[in-house]
Amino acid sequence: MSKTLLSLRGVTKNFAEVEALKHIDLEIHSGEIVGLVGSNGAGKTTLLRLMAGVYTPSNGRVELSNGRPVEEMRQELGVVPESTGLYSRLTAWENIRYHSRMHGVSDSVSWARTEKFAEHLDMKDNLSRHTKGFSRGMRQKTALLRALAHGPNILLLDEPTAGLDITSARTVRALVRQLRDEGGTVIYSTHQLAEAQQVCDRIVIIHNGEIRADGSPGELLSTTGTENLEEAYVSLTLDQARPRQEEADKEGKLSSWWRRLFTPRTPASTREVNEDE
Amino acid sequence: MNEGSGRRIRAIAKKEVVEFARDWRTIIAIIVIPLLMFPLLFILFPVLLESEAAELDALELNVVIQSDDFPLNLLENITAVSLSTSIEVLPNVTSLSEPGSDLERVRNGSTDALLRFDSQNETWSYAILHLSTSERSNEARYRLLTTLSAWEDSEVRERISASGLDVNETLDPLRWDGDISQGDVATSGEQAGMVLSLFIPLVLAIWTYSSAIQPSIDMTAGERERGTLEALLCLPCTRIELLMGKWVAVATITGIGVVLQICGLLFAIGYLASSSFIGLPKLSIASVGLIVLSILLFAVMVVAFELALAMRSHSVKEAGSILAPALMLILFPALFTQVINLDGIEGFWFAIPVVNILLALRELLMNRVITEHVLIWVVSSVVYASLAAYYASRQFSREDIVTSLS
Repeated sequence: MSKTLLSLRGVTKNFAEVEALKHIDLEIHSGEIVGLVGSNGAGKTTLLRLMAGVYTPSNGRVELSNGRPVEEMRQELGVVPESTGLYSRLTAWENIRYHSRMHGVSDSVSWARTEKFAEHLDMKDNLSRHTKGFSRGMRQKTALLRALAHGPNILLLDEPTAGLDITSARTVRALVRQLRDEGGTVIYSTHQLAEAQQVCDRIVIIHNGEIRADGSPGELLSTTGTENLEEAYVSLTLDQARPRQEEADKEGKLSSWWRRLFTPRTPASTREVNEDE
Repeated sequence: MNEGSGRRIRAIAKKEVVEFARDWRTIIAIIVIPLLMFPLLFILFPVLLESEAAELDALELNVVIQSDDFPLNLLENITAVSLSTSIEVLPNVTSLSEPGSDLERVRNGSTDALLRFDSQNETWSYAILHLSTSERSNEARYRLLTTLSAWEDSEVRERISASGLDVNETLDPLRWDGDISQGDVATSGEQAGMVLSLFIPLVLAIWTYSSAIQPSIDMTAGERERGTLEALLCLPCTRIELLMGKWVAVATITGIGVVLQICGLLFAIGYLASSSFIGLPKLSIASVGLIVLSILLFAVMVVAFELALAMRSHSVKEAGSILAPALMLILFPALFTQVINLDGIEGFWFAIPVVNILLALRELLMNRVITEHVLIWVVSSVVYASLAAYYASRQFSREDIVTSLS
């Protein structure tokens, strides 16, 4: 078995009163593709942010092997966040170069890598264009190129194929597998079970902030006694999914009270709606 | 700070400035407007005033003169200033200023002004009825007053002369001898410093704050709203490096704007103003050095404060609604500072936030380096700038900056 790269021990993450993640124990090993699968609001993005050191756990520890803090991993980390995070007044290459420079990688090295991966993703002609007019797919590809340009060993991908056409999504998946084959580690968040099955060596099912299952697709089937992953997922997540939790602590109490003051009550019946008209 | 840290701060600052400069609206707001504002004001305002004055001069106005014995030479003088006159008999009123039955025709504009003129032996009484809300009526009154004043002056001179006295000796028995400006022992450099100290600190304070609003919001709440901050926070840079990079960028943009505005102002005063009341202030090297230090400390404090408030906000809209009214925190002390007398000023004034730097600038522009004052404003400003920077670092270290309401 490959060595442990990153471990989460007894990790809990709270946002105000809400427990977004509950007692997470998880180990990520070098050279594997780990799929984080769950519905919207399950806690996948929170988990990725904890792994990247953007969030600190409310309880428990997130650390690298030999107990080093997770922030030390950032030099070798490539991230594609859900929002892609591109600067619209910069070109695709300038976006990529900015992140590479922050990693201390020379422009020539990052350009060579960008060119290589841009060929795969059919993005070479768009590198000098401003990202303002990019489609969701092009933004996703640029974010992926940006995450790869400095030669990371670890990739955190949050819904990397969202908005991509079938061919591009297929290319991305192939690229992810290629990176794994070259010794890289990929943590791949998705809510598409079929996609996770195609790409990942190991699938972690998260539901309502808890890990419900962790293993290879075959192990998940045998544990749940089901015939396919969809049935396995359903059997593991029978309780109703909660709404996204992070939103709870974003608004101040005064702002929240003021907003509610000017928000009419939702009508209880069709008659009330008609009366309003 | 190690080499890697410096490189990352430079990379952040450079990217922010480049991205900001690519928005033409920003360039207009931060560069073009400050540069051209005062020169245009100094060109357009006199042109506008002149054109308005010429328009008024060209007006042919109607006045009614009510008098039983109106001097002929005065009537000629009045007609010469484009006033059409009609003479009427004096009405029966208790005083000449009482409008009586003439009220309505002055109010409805059928006459632009009405002059009542009454002779009593060797003196005359007069009153002018006019409508102060009408420009035509005001102009008619002004012309009447000017003509009456000139006529009165001529009458006085004639009477003095007729009584055998010297006109000039009688009217002007006390005279200044020589050039009035020679009596002021302040050098032209000191005078220039005095004049500049009245508005340079004010412009500097207000423009530093207001021109930092937009970049501060764009680089913090804007990033938050656009979702670009998460990717940035996953990079191998600390939050302090991020803050410093953004601070350098905002300070650069703001600094350029402020310098251009002051250049525009000095150009307008030096080359466009009709009078030559201002020159270059004569400053010692110590004053110049302390001016630079005071501006730097002020910029550290203001920009850090704005970045902190903007980063605290969940959206661009929220940041704007906090930072715009916060301008009052600069505006009031800045206006207040203008009226404080610097002679014998107590030391505590130099410890009050914002006021301290503005007073320091006023003193330094007048080339006054008072050690006690310098010590107080330097120490207090370092404390305030450090507090602002600490507050900003706290805001940049918040976990929730990765998310936004939008």
